Amino acid sequence: MTGYIIRRILQLLPVLLISSAGIWAMIYAVPGTPIGALVGENATPEQVQAAIQRVGLDQPMLVQFWAWLKSALVGDLGRSIFSRDPVFDLIMGRAPATLQLGLGATLVGLILGIPVAVLSALYPNSWLDRSLSGWSALALGVPTFWLGILLILLFSVELRWLPSASTYVSIFESPWGAIRNTFLPALTLGVYVSGIFARFLRASLLSEMKADYVRTARSKGLKERDVVGRHVFRNALLPFVTVVGLMMAAFIGGTVVTEAVFTYPGIGRLLIQAITQRDYPLIQGVILFILVVHVVINLMVDVLYAYIDPRIEYS
Amino acid sequence: MSEPVLSVRGLEVTFTGGGRPVPAVRGVDFDVYPNEVLGIVGESGSGKSVTSLAVTGLLPETAKVQGSIKLADVEVTTADREVLRQMRGQDVGMIFQDPTTTLNPVFTIGRQVTEGQVAHGQIPAGNARGRGIELLREVDIPDPTGRVVQYPHQFSGGMRQRAVIAMAMAGRPRLIIADEPTTALDVTVQAQVLSVLAKRQADTGAAVILITHDLGVIAEVAHRVAVMYGGRIVETGPVHEIFKRPQHPYTVGLLQSLPRIDAAEERLVPIRGQPPNPARLPTGCTFHPRCPIGRDRERCRTEDPALREVVEGHRSACHCVEEVAALLADTATPARAPATVAPQAAAAQAPLLAVDKLKVHFPIKAGILRRRVGWVRAVDGVSLTVNAGETVGLVGESGCGKTTTGRAIMGLIKATGGSVRFDGQEVTRLSPGELRKARRNMQYIFQDPYSSLNPIKTVGDIVAEPLHIHGIYEEMGGAKRIAELFELVGLPRTVLGRYPREFSGGQKQRIGIARALALQPRLLILDEPVAALDVSIQAQIINLLQDLQKELGLAYLFIAHDLSVVRHISDRVAVMYLGKIIEESEKTTLYETPVHPYTQSLLSAVPVPDPDARHTRRRIVLEGDIPNPSKPPPGCYFHPRCFRASDRCRVEEPAFTPYPGLPTRTACHHAGPLGASS
Repeated sequence: MTGYIIRRILQLLPVLLISSAGIWAMIYAVPGTPIGALVGENATPEQVQAAIQRVGLDQPMLVQFWAWLKSALVGDLGRSIFSRDPVFDLIMGRAPATLQLGLGATLVGLILGIPVAVLSALYPNSWLDRSLSGWSALALGVPTFWLGILLILLFSVELRWLPSASTYVSIFESPWGAIRNTFLPALTLGVYVSGIFARFLRASLLSEMKADYVRTARSKGLKERDVVGRHVFRNALLPFVTVVGLMMAAFIGGTVVTEAVFTYPGIGRLLIQAITQRDYPLIQGVILFILVVHVVINLMVDVLYAYIDPRIEYS
Repeated sequence: MSEPVLSVRGLEVTFTGGGRPVPAVRGVDFDVYPNEVLGIVGESGSGKSVTSLAVTGLLPETAKVQGSIKLADVEVTTADREVLRQMRGQDVGMIFQDPTTTLNPVFTIGRQVTEGQVAHGQIPAGNARGRGIELLREVDIPDPTGRVVQYPHQFSGGMRQRAVIAMAMAGRPRLIIADEPTTALDVTVQAQVLSVLAKRQADTGAAVILITHDLGVIAEVAHRVAVMYGGRIVETGPVHEIFKRPQHPYTVGLLQSLPRIDAAEERLVPIRGQPPNPARLPTGCTFHPRCPIGRDRERCRTEDPALREVVEGHRSACHCVEEVAALLADTATPARAPATVAPQAAAAQAPLLAVDKLKVHFPIKAGILRRRVGWVRAVDGVSLTVNAGETVGLVGESGCGKTTTGRAIMGLIKATGGSVRFDGQEVTRLSPGELRKARRNMQYIFQDPYSSLNPIKTVGDIVAEPLHIHGIYEEMGGAKRIAELFELVGLPRTVLGRYPREFSGGQKQRIGIARALALQPRLLILDEPVAALDVSIQAQIINLLQDLQKELGLAYLFIAHDLSVVRHISDRVAVMYLGKIIEESEKTTLYETPVHPYTQSLLSAVPVPDPDARHTRRRIVLEGDIPNPSKPPPGCYFHPRCFRASDRCRVEEPAFTPYPGLPTRTACHHAGPLGASS
């Protein structure tokens, strides 16, 4: 297993290299430069030229890329063109907040989604199944910004239980403060993703229910609860954890709309800000971060596979 | 006799899900007693599996069950869910067909074997492991302590099925229902599993219902037999009576359509037509459209015959039961003259296909850098020839490399070494374009007629496709040629515009054969062409293949695991074990006087459809399983399972050489007929 993880991490390097080159090419394809915004509307051509030289935009593209790559390898992602802060620090300042929201949202999604799926699969095509499917469709269909506003109206404006604008409070410093501040955005995202989780898991459970080992389990005289809850559930988890991993990676990579509704200080808002300012080093850094999150979570999902299914051996 | 364990009366099962109700079981009565094996025989759709699921209350909710099923003290048809759950595992245990899918892949064998007893409170969960070890030991699984914590994928097929038997028997139920328990297993493993089942039955005194399509297995183990057709029992009686004096035309048909390993028949007598679709059953006697007696009789067409006693304990549902005996006599003489193509004449010329020391090795990769750490020697030096107009059978158990051999000859898999010459031309080193041309003369027919036809094309287009690929559709006669091909394989030309799903398994295999014949090949490589078919249909396809061979002068390489079918169709037979041919001979010699111990064991393990043979035939039950082809044993690959193995066999690999006095070649240090040296 250790050998497998090392190999996967080694395979990660070319992936990151190719993707970061892609990110570079993409940004240069976008019209406009950050210089105008940097020096102001009334700058003289000399001032513009000086600014270009200062941030290195006069160098050939490959040289810029190579310089960036060399420093990126040692964790130096350059400095933001605007704030002059190191990009790495800016991202790490936002990452814990995003991580906390992403994990919270996934947790809410699982808590809501799994029971819905199991109940649906126990009584397929019953009125219960139909109403639960309706619920999933609703959870998927309501736009998150709209649900977020509704939740703020209910919990912050009407009931005055929770703050309407969330700030980041670490769960390790103040668990209660963290829950108060993360609950509403996590619920907003969690409801949405519970719809996805419920649909996937229901389909996965129902297809597993047709497997031969289910008939065997019944023929032994097991309770239906155990047949579905143990035998079927564990097998149905395999495709399900892939979906959970994908959604979790998406959340940790930043959720622009929900962060905006709750003014939550996450990666998504950092990226939007960087894009509107054409802050190239910051854009590159954030996208690289999102990429790394996806790759790491994929690796975790693959490792989890081996724990769920003994047939999978990574050697 | 004592009280029956199970008593079924007037059982009717109708599926009501969507559309018209489908009667799957229509009035079935039977009893099963302790210590007895009741064999239920029937083809697909006969209602045999539905009957067994009804007995255990495991039918889906769309099934409507009427009549009475009394198992132990439970009336299954009216009992509530909890009573049925208590009954399953305690009063009745089930063994299903495919042990690769009936066990849950993510739980240990030990847990699955004992889980039923834990659920019924027969043993505390803390004792489950010890009990698991005990149960595995009872079914002869070596090293039960180590095995109990393993997962199903770490068990071989035969061990899995023994674990399933242990599981079904764990709660010492009074009734065991075994639904095709050995159909997915190799013959030598089948023999092991049947003997374990018999031993456990003797230990517990349980009653056993054995459901199978295999008349050999029935003759081997059943005491009484019920033959099902169209959702009813059409004949039932003691096993000797059924095989010696069958009283129903369908039973006679089944026995006659079966190729036999212990005799050389010239031609099989198939049952005409198809088994009935339960949704569209014929009127009157459901067998009348296929019956040689009642096909044109008014009474058979209109009146469903009752099951009535013919001799004591022997009942038949036939209006014309007194005419059945004549059917048997009719076929004592061969229905047709023997084949006139003489392979000897062909043998004088150069062989059509000559395979020499063919090797196919697959690399095993491991480690961080995925380096090659070994080879799986799937095919390891196979040499064989096929002459024009001749059939060569290639037999062996699963994993022996017979399919890989066939595919490598076709060029579908790249050969690692050796040569394949077709009509004098070396084909292993051809470019893809040249290979495609060479393949026109060599066609492959796959096992599974269900998945080898593209479902979104009409069958006419499917058969025409090879002609289009080679750009010779018009040249070969276009639509007219396609229609001819359909007639050649016994299908009317009116079906050309239909889609594969509208055809039965046997018809699909006919379409597959028509497609292979489109390019006028000279050699067909047939990979298990009848393995997925019912007995009566299998006989039709075998006869078709024999007729086509005579008509078109085709050569066949017939790859199969069924030794009886291979004996029937082949001129010469080669036996494979772990990637090598270990014995090859003219058919009759190989079957009558095998000289290699593996061939001898293999032949002795095949169940013969004759209940008398139970006591007279000598049985060699092989120990263990086929070794892993990536780690073959040193010396002779067969020595760990061989009853003649000596020290020499453990170190020195035997050469494949002619055996003196017989037209046989074999690879064994101690080759010789049975009885000569053992």
